[in-house]
Amino acid sequence: MQIIIIMSFGFIIGYFIFPKKWKGYNERLQIILTALLIFSMGVHLGSRKDLWQEIISIGWESIVLCVLPILASIVVVYALSILVFQNKKRRKDKGK
Amino acid sequence: MVVLAMVALLLGILCGNVIIPEQLVDSIFHASDYILYVLMFCVGISIGMNKMVFHKIKEYHVKIFIIPLGIMIGSIIGGACSVLLLDLPFHECIAVASGLGWYSLTGILLSNLGGATIGTIGFLSNLMREILSFLMIPYIAKKLNHFTAIAPAAATSEDTTLYVIMKSTSEEVAIMAVFNGVICSAMVPILIKLCYMIFL
Repeated sequence: MQIIIIMSFGFIIGYFIFPKKWKGYNERLQIILTALLIFSMGVHLGSRKDLWQEIISIGWESIVLCVLPILASIVVVYALSILVFQNKKRRKDKGK
Repeated sequence: MVVLAMVALLLGILCGNVIIPEQLVDSIFHASDYILYVLMFCVGISIGMNKMVFHKIKEYHVKIFIIPLGIMIGSIIGGACSVLLLDLPFHECIAVASGLGWYSLTGILLSNLGGATIGTIGFLSNLMREILSFLMIPYIAKKLNHFTAIAPAAATSEDTTLYVIMKSTSEEVAIMAVFNGVICSAMVPILIKLCYMIFL
């Protein structure tokens, strides 16, 4: 909930106040913050005693939990896009 | 971005394993919460600045929600199917899949919810999703259709993978990709917590 509230504050500032010329700085700051976040995760991960043994088991799980959600979302979005967007296009073409 | 992420991760692992003393590790991990808050604030600014998104919403009306909805449903279905192949509980599988490619947030949220191991799985699988997206988008745009090219990118379609989407499809689809990224990004923290808590 805190994250959504903070994000909403940012949204309001971005919409009404934030100067366009600072857009690049904001984007660069996001990259730096993301790198810091990942670094802190790495530190936490690296401090574990059985790290390498865990990475071997985590690797397979990570691959499965990456590939299956990608494939399923491709199938669902493809089916929906044909139903919604291409049918609409066909109807438009017939109308011409 | 992917290279930077990998370097930061490997450097962090090295520092945590060799250089940084144990007492400091917890402090660094707690500090990451504040880093995340600042990051969310900056992402909010980026979304707020992108006023074109609101014009496109009016044009497509409710239909613009179809792609992010399809991605969210598909990802959760994929996460649910993963239970058959993995020795992980159902709620953890769908929570990891709900990361929609936003690896940093997924890693932190899942670490806080379920511990470092599931946090790392969430981080790695979503990082892989971003890397794979770069390779898959041009192929999907060519073989299936332009709208489907947004599917693998999920939450990353508003930033890192946007250029590849725009290059492989059209400007109109790129605008939809931005909108999709906004919706998916806003939904990631909600989906992860919901999936983890409800099916616990």
